[in-house]
Amino acid sequence: MVEIRSPSVRRGWSESARARASEIVGQYPEPRSAVMPLLYLAMAEEGYLTDNGMREVASLVGLTPAQVRAVASFYTMYKRDDPGRYLISCCTSISCMLLGSDEVLRAIEDESDVTAGETDPEELISVEHVECIGACGGAPAVTVNYELIEGMTAESARELVRWLRTARPEAIVGAECQELFGGRRSFDWGPFDRDSALGPYPAFGPLGTVSGPAEDQDG
Amino acid sequence: MTEPVTVTINRRQVNAPAGELLIKTAQDNGVYIPRFCWHPRMNPVGMCRMCLVEIETPRGPLMVTSCTTPVSDGMTVDTANPTVKKAQEGVLEFLLINHPLDCPVCDRAGECPLQDQTMAYGPGESRFVEEKRHFEKPIPISELVMLDRERCILCARCTRFSEEISGDPLIEFQERGNYTEVNTFPDEPFRSYFSGNTVQICPVGALTATPYRFRARPWDLTFVESTCQHCSSGDRINLQSSQNRLLRILGVDSEPTNQGWLSDKCRFGFEYVASPARLTSPLVRDEEGELREVSWGEALDYAGKALGEVISRSGGRAVAGLGGARGTNEDAYAFSKFLRSAVGTNSVDCQMDDGLDPRLLSGVVDRARIADLENAGSILVWGPDLKEEHPTLYLRVRRAAQELGAGLVVVHPRGTGLDDRASVKVTYQPGSGGEVLSELMDGNGRMAEAREVLSKGPVVALLGRPGYGESPDLAEATAAFVRSLPDATILPLARRGNVFGALDMGLSPALLPGRAQRGTLAAQMLADRWGELPAASGRDCRGILEGLESGDIEALVLVGADPVRDVPDGELARRALANAGLVVAIDQFLTDSSRMADVVFPAMGFSEVEGTVTNIEGRVLKVNRLTPGPGQSRPDWAILSDLAARLGADLGLVSAQQISEEVEELADIYRGVNWERLDWEDRDGIVVSGDLGYVPVFSHVASVSPRPGEMALHYARTMYDDGVMMRESPSLRPLAPGSGAHLHPTDAARLGVGEGDSVDVTSSSGSLQAGVVIDPTLEPGVVYVPFNQPDTASLGSVPGVRVSA
Amino acid sequence: MSAPSIVTDRMTRHPSDSHTLERYLETGGYQALAKALEMAPDEVTGEVKAANLRGRGGAGFPCGLKWSFLAPSKPAYVVVNGDESEPGTFKDRQLMERDPHQMLEGTIITSYANGANHAFIYIRGEYPRSARRVQQAVEDAYAAGYLGSDILGSGFDLEVTVHLGAGAYICGEETGLLNSLEGRRGEPRLKPPYYPAAKGLYMQPTIVNNVETLANVPWIIENGGEAFAAIGPDGSRGTRLFSISGHVRRPGNYELVMGLTWRELIYEVAGGIPGDRALKCWIPGGASAPWFVPDDHLDLPVTLDDTAKAGSMLGSGAVVIMDETTCTVRATERLVRFFAHESCGQCTPCREGCSWLERILRRIEEGAGREVDVDMLLDISDNISPGLAWPPRMTTICPLGPSAVSPILAITSYFKDELMAHIHQGGCPFD
Repeated sequence: MVEIRSPSVRRGWSESARARASEIVGQYPEPRSAVMPLLYLAMAEEGYLTDNGMREVASLVGLTPAQVRAVASFYTMYKRDDPGRYLISCCTSISCMLLGSDEVLRAIEDESDVTAGETDPEELISVEHVECIGACGGAPAVTVNYELIEGMTAESARELVRWLRTARPEAIVGAECQELFGGRRSFDWGPFDRDSALGPYPAFGPLGTVSGPAEDQDG
Repeated sequence: MTEPVTVTINRRQVNAPAGELLIKTAQDNGVYIPRFCWHPRMNPVGMCRMCLVEIETPRGPLMVTSCTTPVSDGMTVDTANPTVKKAQEGVLEFLLINHPLDCPVCDRAGECPLQDQTMAYGPGESRFVEEKRHFEKPIPISELVMLDRERCILCARCTRFSEEISGDPLIEFQERGNYTEVNTFPDEPFRSYFSGNTVQICPVGALTATPYRFRARPWDLTFVESTCQHCSSGDRINLQSSQNRLLRILGVDSEPTNQGWLSDKCRFGFEYVASPARLTSPLVRDEEGELREVSWGEALDYAGKALGEVISRSGGRAVAGLGGARGTNEDAYAFSKFLRSAVGTNSVDCQMDDGLDPRLLSGVVDRARIADLENAGSILVWGPDLKEEHPTLYLRVRRAAQELGAGLVVVHPRGTGLDDRASVKVTYQPGSGGEVLSELMDGNGRMAEAREVLSKGPVVALLGRPGYGESPDLAEATAAFVRSLPDATILPLARRGNVFGALDMGLSPALLPGRAQRGTLAAQMLADRWGELPAASGRDCRGILEGLESGDIEALVLVGADPVRDVPDGELARRALANAGLVVAIDQFLTDSSRMADVVFPAMGFSEVEGTVTNIEGRVLKVNRLTPGPGQSRPDWAILSDLAARLGADLGLVSAQQISEEVEELADIYRGVNWERLDWEDRDGIVVSGDLGYVPVFSHVASVSPRPGEMALHYARTMYDDGVMMRESPSLRPLAPGSGAHLHPTDAARLGVGEGDSVDVTSSSGSLQAGVVIDPTLEPGVVYVPFNQPDTASLGSVPGVRVSA
Repeated sequence: MSAPSIVTDRMTRHPSDSHTLERYLETGGYQALAKALEMAPDEVTGEVKAANLRGRGGAGFPCGLKWSFLAPSKPAYVVVNGDESEPGTFKDRQLMERDPHQMLEGTIITSYANGANHAFIYIRGEYPRSARRVQQAVEDAYAAGYLGSDILGSGFDLEVTVHLGAGAYICGEETGLLNSLEGRRGEPRLKPPYYPAAKGLYMQPTIVNNVETLANVPWIIENGGEAFAAIGPDGSRGTRLFSISGHVRRPGNYELVMGLTWRELIYEVAGGIPGDRALKCWIPGGASAPWFVPDDHLDLPVTLDDTAKAGSMLGSGAVVIMDETTCTVRATERLVRFFAHESCGQCTPCREGCSWLERILRRIEEGAGREVDVDMLLDISDNISPGLAWPPRMTTICPLGPSAVSPILAITSYFKDELMAHIHQGGCPFD
């Protein structure tokens, strides 16, 4: 129970987000467990995790905003600074490093003119280096909006950046990016996965952060 | 409870209760294990890793944190072998590498656990050559607390306190790993009623209190233990001063009362003591109607003559006294003796129209002690919002419900601080409490669950008046019902600092010192000492004010009382004082009331006088003197004694300690309660037993409804208000919530108003303008108005008010 | 290698649709569940015990034993640890993406054996495809009656919730995972008293098992624990997925029967080192594991016990191979940086120590090292992991901090010359 009331006016969430939020809360024996999926929902709703989004989540699960922020700031994928439309995450952990990830990252930074940790002025591309993303068999690897591309080279990394700049895809289809820019994979991924990421958060149906299979996207 | 076990610590065998934490067992047996995160009043987390020790296991020595390891029989512990010492030194080095070492400008230096333990256990010099972690230097996280994240060692004491103890987690760990920091949510300050505790328990200078920053060095401080007088819990405190100026109050860990914690009101609400507005000289109203400084002799002569005239003209019963609940028992006794033996009146009241029967308050059968909460099966709280009016009691109830497994039923007209820990919360419309009680007694329907919770004994009931819209008889009727619950004990609630002591000293029409009732043998014995007692029964506060207004009472003596601000019907008080023939005030300030007096005597107060107080459970505690009073101020008892002399009476009072001895001699229940004991072996106080055995009477409390077109009024106090002590404490004054009209969203919609819009609230006795606060915790049809806020009028003790946009 | 294939059989034989319910059923899927539901729960546990299945997440704790420790109070929960984040490890991703029903069936059987009616599958946030395929499998299983109420008419009910992590390695530690699942910071809990089997999710008894561990369960139920225990050497029964990465010709996940040598694993399974360059060292079991070097370890058998005896662990099954071109100081800096980045921050030695170590290593790699730094690296390590022993002793709550010490011990013992060369040359000799 907290006496302090929000001083700022809330931008309300959409009806569909509210409905999804209550579904998510209902999936757990205790509402607090829904904090993490709700934070993703907040990102999808506003493009990134705003103070408003955290307040909203707090009120949905009965926590203080400080408690929600404590959780949000613990995890690297909740972006509290407005990232670009495309978040390029370059793995530089041990296996990728051994196979040239530092060159891949330098190529991405150079081609995009965005230093790791930053976003370009038109808020199109954000670049970050990340720790191991579990693609060590296909090292070096990157993700764009958490959609994986394995077997990168410095050159393919430059192509990827140029493509994002020029093609400006509505959503990122991982399998498509892999075909266009990737190389060796950790393992056979199986059939073409058409699910696509709508923003700098993982594409996952129950969160509503994914666009469903779009048959017409691929010839 | 548990069998003792034998543990070997550093090759010495010691006994301890099974399950006790090793760090405590060691400490109790003279082995201090260094620590930062462990605090005896909070659950252990084992985070700072400073208290590492080695225990023997079948698989060899195991390094464990002694703050998270319960002792077990046969355990062998080494707290200082080379491995342990190396680990402890290592932890200290880790803590220091990013610490700014800005001790010369740090408030904590000299009393800093990090500094002390570095001297005792730390490395001699730093090997760290990298750049230290940087944060913006101290940032205000509330009006009262500054945070320096560079100094912080992330022990989580403050964040745990907020979540675990006070229940308002507004500060939290943010970020992760080496970037972890304590912080608030942006734009949501650490506005907790208990924030100062985090400053006190911070083991470094990361959290500092704005009112104390850079005011003193620990080694310059003079200190003494005392008891807080802001509320009636009897919280033990340590007063600290430098150069005769009170600078800081710290909580003392006293098991029966506050267990170390304080509200911010108690911690910071002392600034008024040194206010330039304190009265330093007696004042007498001159021919032009202005209060003018005069000598003590002149003022006493004037007051004595004027009072004497009233007494000889109309008898002692034409004089009345109000107040006495803010001072010591000794001062209250003097006031009681003065009125009854020197003036000859029973019209005296320390309660300021709070309304509860004094016999219930100080003499109820099966009166609970605060410690009963520790073993309670269930707790009923039906009275004021404890968080607002009894803050440390709120912490005790919270702990009982959260950590000790007690069921909790809260009945209140709006949301309270305890709701999140309540098993059942009943919200109702003020004035309909009688019906709610009937429902609760029947135990059907929505009350079935509440009764189920309350079927688990022992039951502790905390009963008082939730607000001035509620009949004062409700608490007594509830108490009568509660006695039918299993092993029930009752703690009647009244908030004024020493109201229970004042009642014990007879500051009530029907009571005499020692909880003696008029007309009893005890009263007869008292008369043997005091001389003949006034025969006529006296009036209570409201009766006195009405008597003054009507002229039945001609003179009023105020002792630390400000009825204009402090009774629910302030307008009545104003008329009463205006109409009084003579008002004599003993006060520390010119208040809205003493400003209307004919004579004002400057009084010493908190931290300036020595004496005793009696808390909510009847526990007598010592208050001590640390600073001199301003100017010519004197203690209440001395002023009253001199005034009695001017009336030709000798009260026989020569010092506060002598008064205490007289009380001990006269009042059976205070026998054995003396300063010597309270100063030394009984610093936690002595509970005076021998209650009146007052059996609460059940009466059907009729519901009162607002008239058509009115809303029911919930009129209740907040922790910070416009009382003179708050007004004269600059750090707390801005924290009063101010005038407000809390409305349920449906009422706001009906009135067409939103958050912050201004509405007029009008009652039969007053009206005010207030900003709307949307408050879904109310029942529809109820408006909550905080009592006694700056620049507001009073509404009176009325069932309903008219609210208009 | 003609090893029996348990967990990768379906995806190997049916690469195009091994993740679908149709293919799963067509290849014998959910028959183990039907069989298990005919058995008493403790008989199911008995089979897993008999199989001597050891956890595949890292610690290698016997799975059946873990189940038998579960406290009796209800509700109990099963939590699937799909927060695979140990650098070098990518096996659970393959199991979740390519054969999600296998893991799900293992989860259902585990829930049945342990009397849990709600299971949570915690998948790391960086694995959206895994999450999508597992979610699809869960939805299909609900539709087909393998989840929900009265599963296959047995009276057993089970709800499954797929939960996405959000970027925190420490959530792979089971109590950190539980905190995360409760909507808290993923800080590991104190053990004692918070052993998941007694006080786990919502302080209730909880089984936390790794994805691969659970993927083995259907086979064990179908074929019997004894059949599983007949595979592989004592103490390392069954097969195991190895994620091989780094300087090898054929990186990837390999399901192997343990007992082969490291030489065989590196040179035959993974095809040796490109350009036939010399092997310098390898990490035998994920970033936390002490390193192995050819002279001492190449012909050791790859088993849990032999690896432990040699002072390291198979851990998560991640083998990272480094050839002669590798700067081990840079590799160490990269590994220590990982632990510093992933430290939750609650324990002082890990929070402060890991990033201190990282900064010293970076300084050395960048050419500003001093001779005293070498002893300092070891002494700081010793303050996180007293005695620098294996398995590590800890001044911390969880093993993350001590894990950062492993690579430092490797460079100070095996590659001291290289370390000193950085210091003396004022820079990296490999640049």
